[in-house]
Amino acid sequence: MGAAPQQVSPDQRVADFRKIFSRAESEVARVIVGHREVVRKLLTALFCGGHILIEGVPGLGKTLMVKAASETLGLSFKRIQFTPDLMPSDIIGTQVLTESDGLREFQFKPGPIFAHMVLGDEINRATPKTQSAVLEAMEEHQVTVFGTTYLLDPPYIVLATQNPIELEGTYPLPEAQMDRFIFKVVMGSPKPDELREILNRTTGTAQNKIQPLFEPARAPQAIEDLKALVREVMVAEPLERYIISVIGGCTPGGPGAIPEVSQYLRFGPSPRGAQALILCAKVNALLAGRVSVSYDDIDDAIVPCLRHRLLLNFQAEAESVSSESILEQVIKRLKKPRT
Amino acid sequence: MLCAIAPALTAIALGVLLQPLGDLTWARYGYALAPDRAAALSLALIAAGLVVLAAGLVLAFRAYRRANDFVAAAAELDDLLECNQEIVTFATLANPSAPESSRARRTPLFPVLWRRSIALFGGLDVRREFRLEVGAPLRRSSILAGVVALAMILATMGLVRAPTPENREAAKLRAIAEEIAKTATSSDDTALADKIRAAADALENSKLPPEEKKARIEEAMKQAKKAAEKRDNSQSGKNQGNGKSNAQSGKGNGKSQGQGNSSGTGSGEGKAGTGSGQNAGGNNPGSGKGGTGNNSGKNEGGNGTAKNDKNDQNKGAPSNIQLQDELAKAEAQVETADAKNPGPDSKPGDDKNQGGANKPGDKPDQKSGSQLDPNKPGDIPKPGANGDRNLPNAGGNPKNNKDMGSNMGDTHLGEFPTSTNAQRFLKPGDKGAGVDIKDARYVMFRLPGAPTSGNGGKTVLDTDRPKATTAYVNAPLAPTSDDAPPDERQLVPPRYRDMIH
Repeated sequence: MGAAPQQVSPDQRVADFRKIFSRAESEVARVIVGHREVVRKLLTALFCGGHILIEGVPGLGKTLMVKAASETLGLSFKRIQFTPDLMPSDIIGTQVLTESDGLREFQFKPGPIFAHMVLGDEINRATPKTQSAVLEAMEEHQVTVFGTTYLLDPPYIVLATQNPIELEGTYPLPEAQMDRFIFKVVMGSPKPDELREILNRTTGTAQNKIQPLFEPARAPQAIEDLKALVREVMVAEPLERYIISVIGGCTPGGPGAIPEVSQYLRFGPSPRGAQALILCAKVNALLAGRVSVSYDDIDDAIVPCLRHRLLLNFQAEAESVSSESILEQVIKRLKKPRT
Repeated sequence: MLCAIAPALTAIALGVLLQPLGDLTWARYGYALAPDRAAALSLALIAAGLVVLAAGLVLAFRAYRRANDFVAAAAELDDLLECNQEIVTFATLANPSAPESSRARRTPLFPVLWRRSIALFGGLDVRREFRLEVGAPLRRSSILAGVVALAMILATMGLVRAPTPENREAAKLRAIAEEIAKTATSSDDTALADKIRAAADALENSKLPPEEKKARIEEAMKQAKKAAEKRDNSQSGKNQGNGKSNAQSGKGNGKSQGQGNSSGTGSGEGKAGTGSGQNAGGNNPGSGKGGTGNNSGKNEGGNGTAKNDKNDQNKGAPSNIQLQDELAKAEAQVETADAKNPGPDSKPGDDKNQGGANKPGDKPDQKSGSQLDPNKPGDIPKPGANGDRNLPNAGGNPKNNKDMGSNMGDTHLGEFPTSTNAQRFLKPGDKGAGVDIKDARYVMFRLPGAPTSGNGGKTVLDTDRPKATTAYVNAPLAPTSDDAPPDERQLVPPRYRDMIH
């Protein structure tokens, strides 16, 4: 499992991917009750090489879920609690004066961002200055401190959470930063059965131990191989045109934009949205056992990939029109090209 | 394409068959289609059919082009097999006509895609999935074809109208012209057919003046006479040739029914027995009964039965008399129509030459004694005194206008003929009183020219026999009512009354 791609057949690689993904879901589910779709998106974002924004009220197990995923995959995990007084150096690290053998020198002390999986809890509570410090790390997988660039070890994924209720004293994420998240998933409250199961697991004496899928030493490489497999999944030209038409259809004034888009949106998705669509569709295809993307794979990825990239206008907010409803209209009305 | 075939063929067939349908309507019901409108409808139907056919061809071509598209065909298969665009992806990356760059997009997973596509194709039964189903599209298109046919029937019913007498006459003339053209043996016959057609066209053309119509009809009559004379001459020449009797049987009571011109050449040998035969051909339709003759022994050129070797040809051809009869009727129609619709020149008072009578003394050489003075009372025409001026008195009492049986001719004094649109003859389909000689206005017969025996036993045609030159009319007359005007009572000339009644 997780062997080098040169040594196994393509069919075996596809089968391994499905197996690892399925086992990872199962392992996380040992500590997280419900939220299977969120877990799936988390793993999908990991294999796509993207980052994920999780929106939900406190106490739903966001931190536990990320920690469980990192333990399952054998990846390093760090958590950053964003507060208004959090400084960028608190995240990326700083130069510290150290003395060794009578010689004093500045030594870089990495911040919590140096991990495979970074949880930015309540990211909207930090100031924009601090939030933007994460931008470079998210996009380029590197940080620069005092002119020195430090690479982040792959795989690297940032999982940010934000509380949609307590908006006082928060700093909503700027559009540029929102666009860097491949998904935005919403965690809802657990159902009664799930809540009962949560109580049973967390208030009793039973301990659910997670079985890691990879040894920590070779986990990063295994994950990187799986990420490479995702990128090998093929997409036909008609499907690429469909993705382009989806992006155009969601852009006000764009080609094929439906009336609701022009009426309720200020801005549409960027090309990064199209990239996210294809990557997510590829993972969906692999999970279905295919090596080529289908229209259903794309349709399943549209809402989680694009919902946070649509900028609603005042009219939409006044009429309580959500970006999800607009995207559903786009899916319904767009014609799937055949050639 | 299949959907377009039925409506298109229906429209074209109806367009082509419209004229025969019109003829059938004419023959069976006495109603005709307006020729110009029928022609326009026919053309429109044919054009519509062709347009539908062309549209079907265009759609079929587009469908063919679409089916010929590599990726589109793959999409079709993909939908059919429900394989989530795997075949489309495979076709995109394996398209032989695609540029090399598309092949460069193949990844290490392409063999997996290849194997999966081949496996999917294994479950494809092309004959079952792409079966040519003709029935369903034809059934669907038959609805449209039915609508086309219904619309055509309604349009035809709208175009049907009762024909005018001119139309009837023109139709008859055209039919005769067709028959002549079919059996034409010389250029004269063809010319005659053309003339008859021209006369028929002129008869129906309301824009032509009556004089022009008459001129066309007279041209046709002249051509008919000319053709008849030629035929007669050729017939006599042939019959005077060296014919041999072909009567081999002893007693021949053959009935040789010949219509038209007999141009048989009697060639045969009358062997023993009584050879018999008499050709009863001729220009008149009728039957000639072969007489019984005595022909003993070998009779070269004897009184054998002259075969009518053109019997078949002449059977369907109209006779010259019939033709002339129809032409005469056509001329009468023109005259009747002219009388009913006087032109602007014939309005009373328009003629400047009409007007006041010559006044006494206007002309120096004017004779005063023979002129009637309208102002002079008691100046009544006397029988015999002004026999050529027996004009009817328009204002007279009809009771006083009895023809007293004068021997001066058909004089209906006091009966001023008023031209009305009287239907003298029964229409096709009308049931009259039956053929009764009493109802006939004129009964004219023309005896066929019969061959006579000349010198030396040769059969020659009696060309000196008097021939009828006026067309006969023996169509049954329509019943007249007592309250009809005098001229509508079909008064029989006095000199014939004793003969008929």
